[in-house]
Amino acid sequence: MAACWLLRSLSSNFSTVLPLLARSASLSPLQLTSKPYFGRTLASSSRLSAALKFTDKHEWIRVEDGIGTVGISNFAQEALGDVVYCGLPEVGTQLAQQDEFGALESVKAASELYSPLTGEVVEINTLLADNPGLVNKSCYKDGWLMKMSISKPAELDSLMDEAAYERYIHSIED
Amino acid sequence: MSESTMMSQVKKTFSLLNQRACSWSCSRSSSSFFTDSDSAGLVLQSHSTDVYQNLALEDWIDANVELQGRGILLLWRNRPAVVIGRHQNPWTECNLPVMRRAGIPLARRRSGGGTVFHDLGNLNLTFFTSKKAYDRQRNLKVVTDALRRLRPGLDVQATDRFDILLNGRYKISGTASRLSRKSSYHHCTLLHSADRSALSSVLRPSCPGIQSNATPSVPSPVANLLDHAPSLQWEELLGALVQQYNTEFGLHSALTDIDPTNESMFPGVGEMEVELRSWDWTFGKTPKFTMETQLELTNEQPPARCSARLQMEVKNGQIESCHLDVPVEWLPVRLSGELSSVLIGERFCPHRAAAAFSAVLRSESGATHRRLHRLCDAMLTVMG
Repeated sequence: MAACWLLRSLSSNFSTVLPLLARSASLSPLQLTSKPYFGRTLASSSRLSAALKFTDKHEWIRVEDGIGTVGISNFAQEALGDVVYCGLPEVGTQLAQQDEFGALESVKAASELYSPLTGEVVEINTLLADNPGLVNKSCYKDGWLMKMSISKPAELDSLMDEAAYERYIHSIED
Repeated sequence: MSESTMMSQVKKTFSLLNQRACSWSCSRSSSSFFTDSDSAGLVLQSHSTDVYQNLALEDWIDANVELQGRGILLLWRNRPAVVIGRHQNPWTECNLPVMRRAGIPLARRRSGGGTVFHDLGNLNLTFFTSKKAYDRQRNLKVVTDALRRLRPGLDVQATDRFDILLNGRYKISGTASRLSRKSSYHHCTLLHSADRSALSSVLRPSCPGIQSNATPSVPSPVANLLDHAPSLQWEELLGALVQQYNTEFGLHSALTDIDPTNESMFPGVGEMEVELRSWDWTFGKTPKFTMETQLELTNEQPPARCSARLQMEVKNGQIESCHLDVPVEWLPVRLSGELSSVLIGERFCPHRAAAAFSAVLRSESGATHRRLHRLCDAMLTVMG
């Protein structure tokens, strides 16, 4: 029946989605190099890469010397309410762009976190264990969530700069 | 309507609800379906009373069904089980030895919130919507309105913690939720006729002395609806909830039975169930914690009594470090040291610990063996 076929063919498109929930973040079928990219292009654009880039899921990433610091935006922390727990990945976890890497629990809900880029977790913010409220109080600075190496710098181009993100927020608020 | 016709109706609706990346022609031909109010919502009831199968079904719907402009209500119940929240510690939230003896499984859900006891007298309701339409108070209003319609005198109120209280005192419903990529779900319990003595016996800590930043439960006195509305039958309750959901959201959905293990309808749901059953998810996802406690050690021959101090660090459900401070006159330092070291890297679990201890026990005899044995037993007791 046509509708059944539609269901099956569409569900095969979800193969990138289903494994995300069916496995823990530390196991990835992707073979990724953990070497950061030290191309000339990156060095010459290091000024630009230190600026914030945003995803449509309201994560931000700031890349400096090949390492990206990741957090959630002010819009996101306001929408979440008081964060009571930060569930962050293990150092060494391999992440593809948009992979779930953890969750923030607030009074509102447990909200999934999605990786802005492809890379490897190199550090997590250990201060958040005892002080999860830092995510609300200082979402761009002390409330950073994790740092990751960048395997595919070109992915940065798919993210929004600050101005584009502001426009995006206004469009969804309407 | 025959069962196969009803099934194909549900399948059809699911396939339309699954249209994420749709070409123009596709959306135009099915646009009449979108305006048809039947496709704006579904009310489903799970066939299964297995907690893992039902949680997997929730995950599947959350991951695969297009919920922009639509909602789904899923009704389900489980054979006795304890369900902890995403970031909780099972050793502090529930009594694992009691559960093991009673054959009550533990499940960790993906939503936040606290620990609950499920049995066939507890109804679970899951409200699936887009993130934009996420509104817990509105969902709870469906429940309280339905209850007041059934029994107008009933004093039921939703609190600002999203509990529902009966007579301003007894919790009859608790809430938890999850926000994911494009959708959200809010689920809540509803105590109709649960076994309250089983509930209170399992919702106690397994281990003393645990320090952790895991999200704690807020204990509350509970009551069953049946105790306050003795004539309220299960089917009557379900019917009223379905009707109220339809009224609140402007729908005309009939309650449809589904089998959450049906792979052709829910491809990949089996894999989700496997993950939910796994030790790595259920116990391994426990936030890092330390356990510190005194072990009381006694001996008959010769009569002796002392205390030992045990301290452990557990990460991902595995013992990262273990320090055992036993008075040297009771047991040589070498042996207490050996017991500590065999536990490193083992799961925080009395069965695994017992297996690790057996090698150490085998190498001793006589009085030393007896004391070692008592120490091992004392350690196993505090490990849940």
